[in-house]
Amino acid sequence: MNAVAASLLSGHAFLRGMHPSDVALLADATLAVELPAGHRLFDEGAPAANCWLLTAGQVALDLPVPGRPSLIVETLGSGDVIGFSWLSPPHEWQFGATAVEPTRAFELDGPAVQALCDEHPRLGYQLAMRMLAAAVSRLQATRIRLLDLYAPPGGGAAG
Amino acid sequence: MTAATLPARYRVASRAAETHDTVTLVLEPVDQPIGPHLPGQFTMLYAFGIGEVPISISGPAGPGLVQTIRSVGAVTRGLCEAGAGQVIGVRGPYGTGWGEADAAGRDLVVVAGGIGLAPLRGALLAALAARERYRRIVVLIGARSPDELVFAGELQAWRAGGADVLVTVDRATAGWAGHVGVVTQLIGRAQLDPAAALVLVCGPEVMMRLTARALCEHGVPPGNIRVSLERNMRCGVAECGHCQLGPLLLCRDGPVVSYARAAPLLSVQEL
Amino acid sequence: MQNATAAGGPLLMEAAALGPLHAALRRAGYRVIGPTVRDGAIVLGELASADDLPFGWGVSLEPGGYRIRRRDDGAAFGHSAGPQSWKQFLHPPREKIWTAHRTPSGFEVEPADEPPPALAFFGVRPCDLSAIKIQDQVLGRGQHAGSPYAVRRSGVFIVAVNCTEPGETCFCASMGTGPESGPGYDLALTEMTGGGAHQFLVDVGSPAGADVIAAVPTTPAGETAAHRARSAVAGAADRMGRSMPAGILHDLMAASGDAARWDDVAARCLTCGNCTMACPTCFCTTVQDTTDLSGDHAERWQLWDSCFDLDFSHLHGGAVRSSPRSRYRQWLTHKLGTWHDQFGSSGCVGCGRCIVWCPVGIDLTEEVAALQDEVLHGGTPGAGPRSEES
Repeated sequence: MNAVAASLLSGHAFLRGMHPSDVALLADATLAVELPAGHRLFDEGAPAANCWLLTAGQVALDLPVPGRPSLIVETLGSGDVIGFSWLSPPHEWQFGATAVEPTRAFELDGPAVQALCDEHPRLGYQLAMRMLAAAVSRLQATRIRLLDLYAPPGGGAAG
Repeated sequence: MTAATLPARYRVASRAAETHDTVTLVLEPVDQPIGPHLPGQFTMLYAFGIGEVPISISGPAGPGLVQTIRSVGAVTRGLCEAGAGQVIGVRGPYGTGWGEADAAGRDLVVVAGGIGLAPLRGALLAALAARERYRRIVVLIGARSPDELVFAGELQAWRAGGADVLVTVDRATAGWAGHVGVVTQLIGRAQLDPAAALVLVCGPEVMMRLTARALCEHGVPPGNIRVSLERNMRCGVAECGHCQLGPLLLCRDGPVVSYARAAPLLSVQEL
Repeated sequence: MQNATAAGGPLLMEAAALGPLHAALRRAGYRVIGPTVRDGAIVLGELASADDLPFGWGVSLEPGGYRIRRRDDGAAFGHSAGPQSWKQFLHPPREKIWTAHRTPSGFEVEPADEPPPALAFFGVRPCDLSAIKIQDQVLGRGQHAGSPYAVRRSGVFIVAVNCTEPGETCFCASMGTGPESGPGYDLALTEMTGGGAHQFLVDVGSPAGADVIAAVPTTPAGETAAHRARSAVAGAADRMGRSMPAGILHDLMAASGDAARWDDVAARCLTCGNCTMACPTCFCTTVQDTTDLSGDHAERWQLWDSCFDLDFSHLHGGAVRSSPRSRYRQWLTHKLGTWHDQFGSSGCVGCGRCIVWCPVGIDLTEEVAALQDEVLHGGTPGAGPRSEES
């Protein structure tokens, strides 16, 4: 794990357009990490204290089910942000996450970022708006999946 | 050709089940074959005594006729149940083709949703057969679940032939190690060059609208996106009036239409 | 545009020569179809002789209303468009396309091959002649050459009748289709009554027309008679009861997709489809595949269909156009707008049948005026012209 240069961080799609001084603030609370394939980022129910900005690889969000392999809810890759649960109480992960292949990411320290945002409102606003945009995009994609567009006309049994 | 054109007789040479409700038929002419066909075009397939439906051709141009049919009603059920040796009727080929060769020197991108991969397969196979003509060939596939992936056994061959193939499912089942999410999420994953891409999109109309919109947001000009549109069809030869979408008669001006032309039509409800 | 004549100028014919004209057509091998009074209307049917023409009958027309009435001048063609048009003969409501039967190895298909009868259309109004030419473009040209429509059409002899008295619901002048016939007829008649005489000016439009009229007693028409006939027709253009608003209707229709006026007309429209049945250019059909109880014999039939039918736009389990609003919009924007894109002309000839035969009297010229008001001039929807509810 390495401390991150602000210039590297500003290249991530999630932070595009953010003021360089705000990025520099964030860089102080960010580490560059390399996650091997199979690495477990977090488990459902555990305390949520980080988020990750992925730069390469693939992470699967899952939900454990008794007697069966975990169900994969969604996969995320380069350019995506993982982890919203650190933002608000009860600060607990709602899903689990595993790197399904070697993955590189920027890991943000939740409490440290929270303190920075309290002290620097502009950074807080910028980060919050980006988190919101990512969540909305995820929500819209999920709604589309719920529509089950590829089902036979008139609905159909799960294939 | 007019609506009074008699169906040509074709025999089922082979039948392969793609999924629990989708079948690919390889057809051979009993008498004279129908005219040469292009990927993107469709035929009217007749199941004796039941009826006729428009089905996109799912193989490349050539002597045989490959058609992939999803069983959703009486006629398609009859066609899906046709066994080897059975004779069905064929009229066509009708409509506009994908024009995949227009991507020569550039990136050919194919985005398929569900059964929409079938009308695109012919264009993809034609492109792979002339691989040097294109820079990248990218295939983005969205399926309902891993069990409902059509042509699943061919993806490896497509990769070996020089295509980047990314697959995502709306809902994963146990053992699925690939992407899970909507097909538009693959656009970023594939790192498409929006200035260099000709994108062919096929699937349910909602999926095509959302995919085209996502491509435009990614920077692809609407004129470089082609969609395959569908409306009620009866005659297939621009005589019955059913397949109208605004000024377009989809059996003649489609089914493949530039998104630049289709976008304003798709945005009017109940057009 | 002056009526042209194949050789020499127009001819003058007494009304009594209508009989010999009919006979000449019969001798030439035609079955003669023309207007005749039946069931309280002037319909198109086979004429056994010229006496079957509706001499002395006229019509009173209004939105949602049609009555025949007595005329005092004995005119044979003193009426305007009836409930039917000539499309029922060129583009029949029901037609067998082919039959098929099972064989041990599959099935065999035979075309329905009855040669069509040679028909003479006796009394085609200029609007209806325009309608026939429009259907020729839709059903008989390009990829449709050799179609059953094209075969039927190639044998038809047309006796057009210019109009001197517009019906209350006619608007051919504003559609550029009348009251004078355009080219495409074999013979064109202009009826002249009054002053105790009953005569016809005859224009010859083709060699076939010249052959037929040669067997009928006529004299070369003098300048007076010709002038009298032309003036009567020209005068009719000034006495139209309504007109289609001027403007590029193709563009108006393209811009009207979200207009509130469609809700207004949808509140009145019953989606009964009468307009599509009566309209001389509406051509939509459906295909019906049938089989007998043994399952060994199959037939394909072509039937008239209407875009007002809920099944017309059926796709994946539902109708694309399920609301009455969308179906009325489809009919009107196709007729006046996208018809241009698809076939290179307007689909409307101003015959007024859709106005007469609409049970609630929707008048498309009023609807277009209201749409213009809303879409082009930013008027308040619903405040525009509106039909009185009957």
